[in-house]
Amino acid sequence: MIFNLFKFRDYRLLSKLIMTYFLLTVIPMALLGYLAYKQYTSSIEKQAGEYVPLLLEQAHENIDNQFYEIKKLPNLVYNSSQVIEILRKDSYENKSGLLQDEFYVNSFLTRTYISSGSSPVLGVFILSNDRTFKAVKADFAGLDEHAYPFSPDVEPESKETVILPHQTSLRFEGNQPFIMLKRQLADYDNRGNLGTMFIVIDLTFLSNIFNNLNIENKADIWLMNGEGSIIFHTDASLIGAVDENITVYPLLNGSYRTLQGDNSRLVSKNTSEESGWILSHSILLKDLTEQTDLMRNVTVFLFIIFVILSTSVSVVVAWNVSRPLYRLTRLMKKVEKGNFYVDLPVNSNDEIGLLANSFNSMILEIRNLIQQNYQIQLRQKEAELYALQFQINPHFMYNTLETIGMAVEEGENDTVVKMVTLLGRMLRYSIGNKEKFVPVWMELTHIKDYLTIQEIRFEERLLFSITEEINTAAFFTPKFIIQPIVENAIKYGLDTKERLEISIVIRQHCDLLNGRDEIAFIITDNGPGITEDVLTELNKRFHSNPEVNRDGQFGLMNVHARITMTYGEQYGLKVESTVNSGTSVTVTIPVIRVENVHSVLERIDENDCRKNERCHCR
Amino acid sequence: MKKIVLVCLLTVLAAYFVSGCKNGLENTKYKIIYSKNETDSEKVEQQKEKSYTIAIIPKVGGIPYFNEAEIGAMEAAKQLNVEVFFEGPDVADSEQQIRIIEEFIEKRVDVIAVSANDPEDLLPVLNRARNENIKVITWDADTLPEAREFFINMVHPETLGRHIMDTLAWNTGEEGDYIIMTASLTAANLSEWMHWMLVQQEEFYPQLNLIDVAETGEDPGEAYIQSLKMLDKYPDLKGIIGNGSIIAPSAAQAVREKNKSGEVAVVGLSPPTSMREFLKDGSAQVATLWSPKRLGYLTVVLAEQLLQGKYPEDWQDVPGVGIIRVMDDVVIMGEPIDFTAENVDQYDF
Repeated sequence: MIFNLFKFRDYRLLSKLIMTYFLLTVIPMALLGYLAYKQYTSSIEKQAGEYVPLLLEQAHENIDNQFYEIKKLPNLVYNSSQVIEILRKDSYENKSGLLQDEFYVNSFLTRTYISSGSSPVLGVFILSNDRTFKAVKADFAGLDEHAYPFSPDVEPESKETVILPHQTSLRFEGNQPFIMLKRQLADYDNRGNLGTMFIVIDLTFLSNIFNNLNIENKADIWLMNGEGSIIFHTDASLIGAVDENITVYPLLNGSYRTLQGDNSRLVSKNTSEESGWILSHSILLKDLTEQTDLMRNVTVFLFIIFVILSTSVSVVVAWNVSRPLYRLTRLMKKVEKGNFYVDLPVNSNDEIGLLANSFNSMILEIRNLIQQNYQIQLRQKEAELYALQFQINPHFMYNTLETIGMAVEEGENDTVVKMVTLLGRMLRYSIGNKEKFVPVWMELTHIKDYLTIQEIRFEERLLFSITEEINTAAFFTPKFIIQPIVENAIKYGLDTKERLEISIVIRQHCDLLNGRDEIAFIITDNGPGITEDVLTELNKRFHSNPEVNRDGQFGLMNVHARITMTYGEQYGLKVESTVNSGTSVTVTIPVIRVENVHSVLERIDENDCRKNERCHCR
Repeated sequence: MKKIVLVCLLTVLAAYFVSGCKNGLENTKYKIIYSKNETDSEKVEQQKEKSYTIAIIPKVGGIPYFNEAEIGAMEAAKQLNVEVFFEGPDVADSEQQIRIIEEFIEKRVDVIAVSANDPEDLLPVLNRARNENIKVITWDADTLPEAREFFINMVHPETLGRHIMDTLAWNTGEEGDYIIMTASLTAANLSEWMHWMLVQQEEFYPQLNLIDVAETGEDPGEAYIQSLKMLDKYPDLKGIIGNGSIIAPSAAQAVREKNKSGEVAVVGLSPPTSMREFLKDGSAQVATLWSPKRLGYLTVVLAEQLLQGKYPEDWQDVPGVGIIRVMDDVVIMGEPIDFTAENVDQYDF
């Protein structure tokens, strides 16, 4: 249990919410309902447990009274001194004398006991001196005259004895429940014994008393003697049986409950002080608490419905809380793997909604930052690395130095000095690597130096011109954006052409498409040109995948990539070419003035450019 | 939060175990809901432990009537498990009775039941007994009411007196001279019966004529002698009433002696055994009495009940006796029995 509790903190929020709900509502409610029901039934039980014994006591008093009256019945015999006289006789001279006496006594008994209407007497027998006097209401069988031998000398018992049906073989027609009252008739005057009188009492009068007790007709009511012999029972088949439990009953006056699960019974008992008989009342608790049980079942049913309903509500609520969190977790995992193109739908304005909102804007921000800083810088660095490799092309160095060497051999000192000066300036430009942006004139000087050296080397085979249509000191440009293009033109041009002409034009113009000023470097040669297929391929690669590699168009791709990464897709290289007549490469960059070089350096902001340059366009 | 939950759970668990253990310890078969207090039985048992002593004093010892009464009393003593002393004087005399009563006071008996020879003589001694916390009742013959709790009478005196006069009238043809012989002129019961005999005679039998009253004491010999004298003295005598249990047999014997059987009717109080031979040979006509055994028995039963605080009630069914009547403080045992030649054999007292 405790172990589980410590684990509780590791459970899912959904489970926690549902468990908490369960602990806080369902269990207390169930407990409360159970306790209330228990309390209620036990109070009903207690009420009945006190009430029934009182009823029993009254009923038992009633029964006792009836039996008191019944016990007085034998005394009626003494009303007739003639009957007493006959009973005293012990011998007869002839049969007729005996028969006459029998007739007399029998008719007396019939008159006295049987004919008097509502009397519960079934029959009367007197056994005296081997004579049997009798008067009965119904046919009978099984009177055992020898079972009660008569002896005039025996001291008469003054008390009546009750003989239960199972103690005698006597049976009446119709099998009515009865008890037999045995009373020895004492000769009060002679202090002797006149005989034994048996009065058989029909017990059906008890059923009225029992019926009054048995309102719902569901209880078992029985009357038994102190030994457990059942004298009368609501279940007629049990009359005469013996209650085996008589020795284990916890009490004989009061109520108790048997603990046998569903068959629990409320048993009440009353013992008569006079007769010692026990009147018992036993009813199933189920019957007693029937009304309550109905209520309980309805309540349990409602409770279950309520639990189902409220549990589903709680599950839905918990689900609503936990599901966005779960989705958020999933999305975060995606982001963790590098996919920033995720979106958490916002359905609500609650805390979950706010969280989703914040997450979405955070992802957007991260995406922007990565876009703007990380990726750009990375590629710029790569581009710069390769650019640097190009600045000091070993091939170019070797060729230049060889040219210088030849000039020295030929003694052209002026040329040597000029070339060394130019090469030195180029190297310095390359080494002056700290600033990324330089004034346009510096880039132009560099390219002029390069072209001059090549001109010296190839003499008449190379011609170049540079046309400046803008103030080259007022505008800035990234470094080394023209040299790769020129190198490319020389490399292909000199291979095929006897005489290569390269013209470079720098101008400012307005792009009508998006209404902004641009600086354009247009490098035109009269080289072999580029076939249609290669040109298409080239332009496609400019637009689709500005990746840097080392194949033939490396120089162009490098420049294009650097410009687009720095300024956006709308800038960069554009190649136009006609086979065998030449190629024109236009490099466009935004207008960068000296005063915003620093801000551009810090953060390449297209908007700034746009703001600044728009006026010129108009 | 978690601690609270833990505590709650532990509490519930604890409660469950506590209740479970309780159930386990009890006898689980029954649960008593309501029990009626039973304390009466102890009291009854306490009372039963003590054995009572009851002293019964007849008018005189040794005569059949009181012998039979003693038999009945002893029967009851055995059945009720009480100790009964039955002791009477040699002659029917108050002084001797007083002496016997004094002895019983010394013995510290619980009840003294006396058949008084004189209603007044016994007063002082009986009062002394009562002061000593001894219950006093009378039977057979009463004292003055202030001396006793109640009196056990055999029959209603009016019924008996009038009935005896009737038996005389039947046997004399309602006319002629008769005498009454009584055992005592002072004994309360005898006097009262005699009174009602005379009332009945005056009322219904004007032809009958009382010519003499003789007192004999409780002595059969004396009664016999007196009877002979009377028969000599009144030759035309038609009837003799014996008011006392020993008189009728003696008178009948005298009548037989004088060969006047049938001429002189003899009726009166007497036990049947004493009268059997005279009834059969015609020297006596009717004897009237009750069962002295029954009387003795009843006396002991009522004495024992008195000790338990129970006074006799009208229509009470006394076991072994039958239904008794009670009028004020007088118990009446039953109706008188007539013994004649036909039925005398039924009775054994």
